[in-house]
Amino acid sequence: MKIKNIVIATLAILATLSSCSDFLDRDPDTILTDDQVFGDAVMIKSVLSNFYGRITWGQHIDDTYLYTILDEASKSDGGPDTRQDFENDRWRVYDYTLLRNLNQFLKGVRETNVLDADTQKEIEGEARFIRAWLYFNMCRGMGGMPIVGDEVFDYAPGMDITALQYARSTEAELYDYIISECEAIKNFLPTDPTINAARATKWAALMLKARAAVYAGSIANYNNKMPTPIRTAGGEVGIPANLANQYYETALSAAEEVINGGKYQLQLTKPDDRGRNFYEALSVKENNKEVIWARDYKYPGQTNGFTQSNIPASHAEDIDRCYAGPILNLVEDFEYINDRNGEIKTTDANGNYIFYDKPEDAFANKDPRLWGTVIYPGAVFKGTPVVLQAGQKYLDNGVWRVRTSEPGEKDGNGLLITSVNGPTTTNNQFVNKSGFFFRKFLDETPSASTRGRRSDMWFPRFRFAEAVMIAAEASFELGQAAKSLTYINQIRERAGIQNLTSVTFEDVVQEYRVEFAFEDHRYWDLKRWRLADKIWNGIQNDPNAQQFALFPYLVNMPGNANDGKWIFDKFPTHMSPYPRYFQMRNYYNFIDQGWINNNPKYVKNPYQ
Amino acid sequence: MKLYKYFLLISVAAFTISSCGLDNYDEPKSKIFGKITYNGEMLNLRGTGEAVQVQLYQDGYELRDNITAYVGQDGTFEALLFDGEYKVVTKDNNGPWVNSRDTVVVNLKGTTEVELKVTPYFTISNESFSLSGSNLNTAFSINQVVNTAQIDYVTLLVSRTSFVDDVNNIARKDFKDQKAGTVTLSMDMSDNKDFASAAALFARVGVRTVGADQAIYSKIVRIK
Repeated sequence: MKIKNIVIATLAILATLSSCSDFLDRDPDTILTDDQVFGDAVMIKSVLSNFYGRITWGQHIDDTYLYTILDEASKSDGGPDTRQDFENDRWRVYDYTLLRNLNQFLKGVRETNVLDADTQKEIEGEARFIRAWLYFNMCRGMGGMPIVGDEVFDYAPGMDITALQYARSTEAELYDYIISECEAIKNFLPTDPTINAARATKWAALMLKARAAVYAGSIANYNNKMPTPIRTAGGEVGIPANLANQYYETALSAAEEVINGGKYQLQLTKPDDRGRNFYEALSVKENNKEVIWARDYKYPGQTNGFTQSNIPASHAEDIDRCYAGPILNLVEDFEYINDRNGEIKTTDANGNYIFYDKPEDAFANKDPRLWGTVIYPGAVFKGTPVVLQAGQKYLDNGVWRVRTSEPGEKDGNGLLITSVNGPTTTNNQFVNKSGFFFRKFLDETPSASTRGRRSDMWFPRFRFAEAVMIAAEASFELGQAAKSLTYINQIRERAGIQNLTSVTFEDVVQEYRVEFAFEDHRYWDLKRWRLADKIWNGIQNDPNAQQFALFPYLVNMPGNANDGKWIFDKFPTHMSPYPRYFQMRNYYNFIDQGWINNNPKYVKNPYQ
Repeated sequence: MKLYKYFLLISVAAFTISSCGLDNYDEPKSKIFGKITYNGEMLNLRGTGEAVQVQLYQDGYELRDNITAYVGQDGTFEALLFDGEYKVVTKDNNGPWVNSRDTVVVNLKGTTEVELKVTPYFTISNESFSLSGSNLNTAFSINQVVNTAQIDYVTLLVSRTSFVDDVNNIARKDFKDQKAGTVTLSMDMSDNKDFASAAALFARVGVRTVGADQAIYSKIVRIK
């Protein structure tokens, strides 16, 4: 009986295994074949849109904390930020998976017959633009990396893999490749601006070309002016000094092609309100004349949390608010309209407080771009002022005393003590700690700060002002002083501040800093100018490396002439107790040991 | 049926027993004690933040990732390893010395001492510190070792713990335009809150060479 059972069971199993149905040979229903994708114009477009979604690297608005790493903003929520050093893989991009996907796509698009010739070229141009952008992002972090052209690599077991192992290119070769790709595709791409600047145009390709060239030029120039230039024997890192001029010339001509293209401009729709004008040039998509290429977002579906995270408490529509705030370092780098020293005046020559009638008076006559970049105490957001009040101050036998409270509390006379917005030095959540809020990229759309909706604010990657700045920088480096002056003054005139009469390197650095705050420029600019180790020098309380806060106080001394006025304190923010320390090794990301194990032809970067 | 039961029992036993053995190593027990020297003197360095590193390589394996050893502020390092032959090398462009990737081969058996000889740009000697009130005075000699080297700055540092370097300090003052030879410096700390409240204080000077990623330091002296 037992044996019989076993026999039956065995037979049953054998019968199952030997089945000749093609049950296991089905085509997978979640993987599309090349024919399915490239035989359908809509499918091709959706693959392309997938690529656009995979190329946001570096500092961007979907991650507020990325702004607190440098000298632009500091954390306001949670515990203090103990950062001091920069990671060896900070903002490192290494995505040969995407590169392979792009090359597969290029192959398919070139072979397909469902697209008309123009569209086919356009899509090829976009894919190659994205590929150049990917190489650019790898190059600015690591230097030269393997250039694989259009090749799609395949692996079969037993194959000799050394043919797949490409050595790193030199840094100059990779920048040259990016520049030549941009030049090659510029006429494939449309010349008219795309909706919300979301897709690449001829002008985006030219901007990438100009930016790559000016980066390469400044590395050739400034790296070799360092006491010990950073380079590898094979040139994977470091560009020879004699190439600087040719790169600057390429940058200048590409930037001027954009400037003379006539499709974009330094947007000036509100000449009477330059601060508002600057905000709208960057942060309002409708009828925008300035932004050339952006990471666009769209509600519903594609939204970001920047507004939700950073809206002032007084204007918040949901739980989240005040994750981070810009710092005084940035605010003071904005000049006054007629004074190049942008210091906020809090005390007079004798060290006594300066009294302001209203908190916003301390920022009177500042570069209007300040209004468009940060919300300072008393500045208006969505029609109402943002009150930033750290507490009350009063004189007690000649000594200034401070009175603070829980955010939003009033004293017996109905006067506010500490604003619901802060700033405070407590460890409370959801209250500001630096004295300023973001305005650039903060969405004014109703409900944009709610968890349910979030914001569809875009993140501009290239805009017209950068073309003008690259032209100003490149012509300055080429010794064309008059041209450089014209360009930099175009930027300053649109901003609404005094013209310069001559241009220095420091002027160029300064103008980039304030014009492009929060736009993923600062880190890369200081790197290519080889200034990062000097500015972020790791010295406690250094005016650049340390993050500073500005706290406004209401003077509460009934009967005194200064009662009801405002005074300010500057001090290093407790939320970031350590100075930023950019070391020589941070100029280039490290090459991961795992990559070297897979490809022994890779060489390490210096300091590694 | 009986047979089947025994079979089950035996196979379970077999699995249990056969699982240990070959794939397990004992933990490494051998130790390299290293020091970084110039003319037999150990160098004083920054010992925090993984700032100064040496790399240990072992040939004969497929993967070539190095073992990193972190150098302490007295110029020593150590690593717990398996017996074998190792190559010890300083990290590329790291440290206040002339960059040299010369390797020292170490045959590790039990405990081995290794001396990594480097050529620092400068050395510091004869350091003395004195505290008068809130004023710190120091005198020391900067000895030029590499003729072409230039001093970027000299830094005077005070810390509340015996870890003192350009990052770990409560007071720091940098002096530009310094030259090799005898140097006297002072720093006023009357405004420094940490200074006033400190129970113990340690001081150190450092010399940063133009182009080097680290400073070379003096010995650490307790001043309070």
